[in-house]
Amino acid sequence: MTDTGRRLLRTPQGVLGLALLAALLLLCLFGGALAPYQPEAMDFAGRFAAPGARHWFGADQLGRDVLSRLLVGARSTVPLAVGATFSGAALGACLGTLSAYLGGRWDEAITRTIDAVMAVPHLLLALILVSTLGKGSLNASFAIAIAVVPSMARVTRSVALVVRRQEYVQAAIARGESGGWIVVAEMLPNVAAPVIIEATIRVAFAVMLFATLSFLGLGAQPPASEWGLMVSEARRFMHQAPWVIVAPSLAIAATAICFNLLGDGLRDALNPRDER
Amino acid sequence: MSVLEIRDYSLDYVTRDGTYHVLQDIDLAIAEGEVLGLVGESGSGKTSLAWAIMRHLPGNARELKGTLRLGDTDLCAAGSRALETIRGRRMSMVFQDPSTALNPTLTLGRQVSEVLVRHRGLSEREAWREAERALEHVELRDVPALMKRYPHQASGGEKQRVVIATAFACRPELIVFDEPTTALDVITGARILELFARLRAETGVAALYISHDLALVARVADRVAILEQGRIVEEAPADRIFRAPTQPYTRRLVAAVPRPDRRLVADQPASQAVLAADAIAVRYDRREATRNVHLDIRRGEILGVVGESGSGKSSLARALTGLAAYSGTIALDGRPVGRMDRVYRRAVQIVFQHPDSSLNPRQTVQSILARPLRLYGGDVATIPALLEAVRLPAHYARRYPHQLSGGEKQRVAIARAFAAQPELVICDEITAPLDVSVQASVVELLLSLRRQNGTAYLFITHDLNLVQQVAHRIAVMKAGEVVDLLDIEDIGRGKMHPYTRELMAAAPLPVG
Repeated sequence: MTDTGRRLLRTPQGVLGLALLAALLLLCLFGGALAPYQPEAMDFAGRFAAPGARHWFGADQLGRDVLSRLLVGARSTVPLAVGATFSGAALGACLGTLSAYLGGRWDEAITRTIDAVMAVPHLLLALILVSTLGKGSLNASFAIAIAVVPSMARVTRSVALVVRRQEYVQAAIARGESGGWIVVAEMLPNVAAPVIIEATIRVAFAVMLFATLSFLGLGAQPPASEWGLMVSEARRFMHQAPWVIVAPSLAIAATAICFNLLGDGLRDALNPRDER
Repeated sequence: MSVLEIRDYSLDYVTRDGTYHVLQDIDLAIAEGEVLGLVGESGSGKTSLAWAIMRHLPGNARELKGTLRLGDTDLCAAGSRALETIRGRRMSMVFQDPSTALNPTLTLGRQVSEVLVRHRGLSEREAWREAERALEHVELRDVPALMKRYPHQASGGEKQRVVIATAFACRPELIVFDEPTTALDVITGARILELFARLRAETGVAALYISHDLALVARVADRVAILEQGRIVEEAPADRIFRAPTQPYTRRLVAAVPRPDRRLVADQPASQAVLAADAIAVRYDRREATRNVHLDIRRGEILGVVGESGSGKSSLARALTGLAAYSGTIALDGRPVGRMDRVYRRAVQIVFQHPDSSLNPRQTVQSILARPLRLYGGDVATIPALLEAVRLPAHYARRYPHQLSGGEKQRVAIARAFAAQPELVICDEITAPLDVSVQASVVELLLSLRRQNGTAYLFITHDLNLVQQVAHRIAVMKAGEVVDLLDIEDIGRGKMHPYTRELMAAAPLPVG
């Protein structure tokens, strides 16, 4: 793993991605402490205050400091998106590997089911799930996790099909190992690299999907300072005070870019054969 | 004047881990009509030299010094425009694997005629007719139909003939052969060599013939150069290099070449069978891989199984280890085996062909070996002893497979099989991907393990010289059936099956 880290630091995307990730982590951990104001402190005299010395990123329609809301909101945006993606990816990876290992009818059944779920657009799927389960951040992240599963299962299955034919898997079967052990101990570690890369890139989608759900009023609920919700609330005042919508939009974009870069860097770092 | 002249040539590869000296101070010359054999083990730089001559080096290659001349042309100085007229026209190449050397989306006829259009300026129709003639010349049957086919619709031998026809199409001055028979089976390979000898006599082309197989090169080439880690250590006429090698490295190579007349096993196996297979048939979908195979392997016996690729050798191994569904009965120690249970799985172990893929890259040697020990009730504390038995140092237990060489990986795979204390080990072409000297040491290891444990081997191979050195009996397979089963003493005597005789004749015998 230290090897991977060193190789990651050798690619420009990796360095930039890691730097942004570190910044995001700091925001999530200490965002509340760094905020100059309370995120919900209203100041009617300072409504729509332009960015300046008092409010670096300006103030919104209720006079709340945008910077403070952003800093505090990181915690309710990023961890949920990351958690949703990685739990969905883990489930998808297990499903894909199992499908490749079992082969034949089972493979057919699992893949077709996945295809059927995939046919429903992510947003629509998430909308259906959230409207059945009820509004809220946790339900939204659950919906995102489910939305990630099919494509991750597909990616994993294609890699696992190659691994399935490798002689060490054949050796394990010939040795009389149980199916569960072969999937978990022999195959999963060998399909992990592409899964991690794919999952990292999917985090960006998850952040945006989460923001979309909040924007539609199905994710985080006011007065929370989740970034997607901030964009949604600021939309009405876009022409009056553009900074209120620009700041959270940029934050979402930066997060997406961070994970995309990280995914690109990891793709190179986890592929040691590509040494040249 | 020589056709190809390499003077004082050195080549480096620059990687992140440092600079590798791939070729150092290479001096070689090929005269008109001469075939120079270039022999080296994997990693010796022989393929790099071929690509240097063809001027197709990877981006991280650094040419330090020296010259490459084709006739009076300086290849190092030639620009990409000049090279376009040299490659394919004045020198061409025949690759190891014909299935990847041909473009899968073009018909075979198109691939030959394209070269003619490009370099000889023929019109499409003339080129097509000329290509037809070229393909007939390499002894292909039903050429007009073949030319309309795509590579996947032709056999390996046919494809290699097409590649050779393409290489000869423009009557080049020099042809580089990079292991042209390694990917083919014995009989097909022997036919290709006959074809090469004929074309060579007709055209008088000069050739550089690269191979790891010293016995084969000594038959094909006029002179042989031995490459060791980027340096030419010896260069001599082909008949001399086998009989009187002067350098220690060459001597070791020559000694490692399997000779059928030098038996490595002296004892006789017991008479009772450890495993008896009766009417084994394996089917994949609708295709029959093997049918009606009867075999019994005696206690402590080495039973060689030979045959061309696709003859069902590996399917038999897969059936006997429960990797493929089969019909028929298997009996272990006289008791019929119903389901493959733990007793059977322990008693019958398999070692696979590719050391690179038979060890899980994410597990240490320790955990690879611990698995069968836990499964079959062994003691994990015996791992150092197990490593010692396959002649690897005990600290290798902490290593990962990618930190081992091919031969070391194969030793770990053998240790894994022996961890179960088996009665029968199925060796599925285990020496095929290894260098000759490594191959010799792995075979020697197998024999010494057998002496200690009395293990029987089912030794699947296509190397007929090797199998005659070690096997007690040889089973010859063809199209899924055992056509011949004979004691080693009976080889060369009257009652051999005609197909066995054909196989034996195709095996390149070491000269001298």
